[in-house]
Amino acid sequence: MGRIIAVISGKGGVGKTTTSANVGLGIAINNKKCVVVDFDIGQRNLDMILGLENRVVYDIVQVMDEEVKLKQALIKSKYNDNLFFLAASQTKDKTVLDSTKIKKFIEQLSEEFEYVILDAPAGIESGYEHTIEFADSAIIVVNPEVSSIRDADRAIGILDSKSQKVKDGEEVYKYLIINRINPKMVQSGEMLTSEDILDILNVPLVGKIPEDKGIIDASNQGKPIILDKNSPAGQAYSRISSRLCGENIEMMDVESIKEGFMDKIKGIFK
Amino acid sequence: MKIKQYSVQVCEASLTDEDDFISFFDTNYNFFKNHLIVINGEMTKKVEEYLSEKDLKYILNITLPKKQPSKTIKKENHNDVEKQRCLDEKKELENQIQELAMNQQNDIKVLDTLLRSGQELKVDGDLLLLNRVNSGANIIVDGNLIITQIVDGSIRCNGNFMMLKASQKANILFHDVEVENSYLKDRLNRVELKNNEIIITPVLKETNWGV
Repeated sequence: MGRIIAVISGKGGVGKTTTSANVGLGIAINNKKCVVVDFDIGQRNLDMILGLENRVVYDIVQVMDEEVKLKQALIKSKYNDNLFFLAASQTKDKTVLDSTKIKKFIEQLSEEFEYVILDAPAGIESGYEHTIEFADSAIIVVNPEVSSIRDADRAIGILDSKSQKVKDGEEVYKYLIINRINPKMVQSGEMLTSEDILDILNVPLVGKIPEDKGIIDASNQGKPIILDKNSPAGQAYSRISSRLCGENIEMMDVESIKEGFMDKIKGIFK
Repeated sequence: MKIKQYSVQVCEASLTDEDDFISFFDTNYNFFKNHLIVINGEMTKKVEEYLSEKDLKYILNITLPKKQPSKTIKKENHNDVEKQRCLDEKKELENQIQELAMNQQNDIKVLDTLLRSGQELKVDGDLLLLNRVNSGANIIVDGNLIITQIVDGSIRCNGNFMMLKASQKANILFHDVEVENSYLKDRLNRVELKNNEIIITPVLKETNWGV
């Protein structure tokens, strides 16, 4: 049985889909068979970020309705042979999902793959509840700002009350990713520090990702940032993926400003 | 000469020396004029003349029925009984209060759960919360409230007191009166209602609770 990890955030636009794509690819690079499933029915994005836009033929709703076989709907990544992708339906909406179908679908996936990553939709409606229902762990993505943290807090609350694992008396494992950390803003006190966020959410941290302009370009090109060895965000994602695969990697300090050569010269003349 | 009040209207007097007797009744005439005087001893002519002259009623040498315990004594006894009863009642009340207090203690709900956004906690009795209250969470308590960690959410407390430490985001109503957060920050505070006034006192100057 594979691990089923839901990627959630509550608030939209904090980097759920980017995280799903990069962590999925990172796990595949660690030689684990992994599938990334876009659960945002009606609004698919993940295919673009993975660069598989033109390869989508069948979607998960068709698999759940048993119109097509799972094998037919799985799309292999062009970057790694261990990574597969399942697209969300763009024509149907969230109401087509139901628990029994999803349970069967996820069981099928967990037999086939070591890691199943479910990219949850933003918000806390039925689509979100269906995504977390059969997950055994969750990656919570937050930005260091209050609205993102409050929404994540709410999403965790729902995760702790509505997921099947909790109903069975077990605990859903949680991993926190703090995304888009701006070291300058943290140091000047404009941005919440990781300690504050961990205090509020009380969820173990799995990684911190610095703000990186390269992410936008990477998404536009359909080439996840993790493949860029020089990007700080890519490096952070690859550390997170290794941690999720069970490796013990020390937490990097992404919050302190790395002073470049020019900054040092400027410092002298201040 | 001995004189003894028997009842309100009757007095007993022993007659030994007639001059003494006459002078006593002379001086206290106003008090005894409506009394019946029971005289013990031998009656002399002089006394008889004196009594008839002053129009005082008297009876000679009779034994009055044995005196019932006088009213004052009775009252004293009554007081003792009352006192005892009061003491017993007091004791009983104290016991009841102690019992109530014990019950009250048993009614305290102790929780160590992080209250997340959107969660609501309603408690009829007292609540001791050992974890944070995040922004967007609600707590409604009818009794007293103690929260050891920082409060970002909203609190409604109707008890005698509450003890907490709140951030700028918190919304705190004590008996439906808003408590300004700026008084509650940085340290644990005791908020109580005294004579229709809300009094806020810091519990400890430097506490490590909820840091």
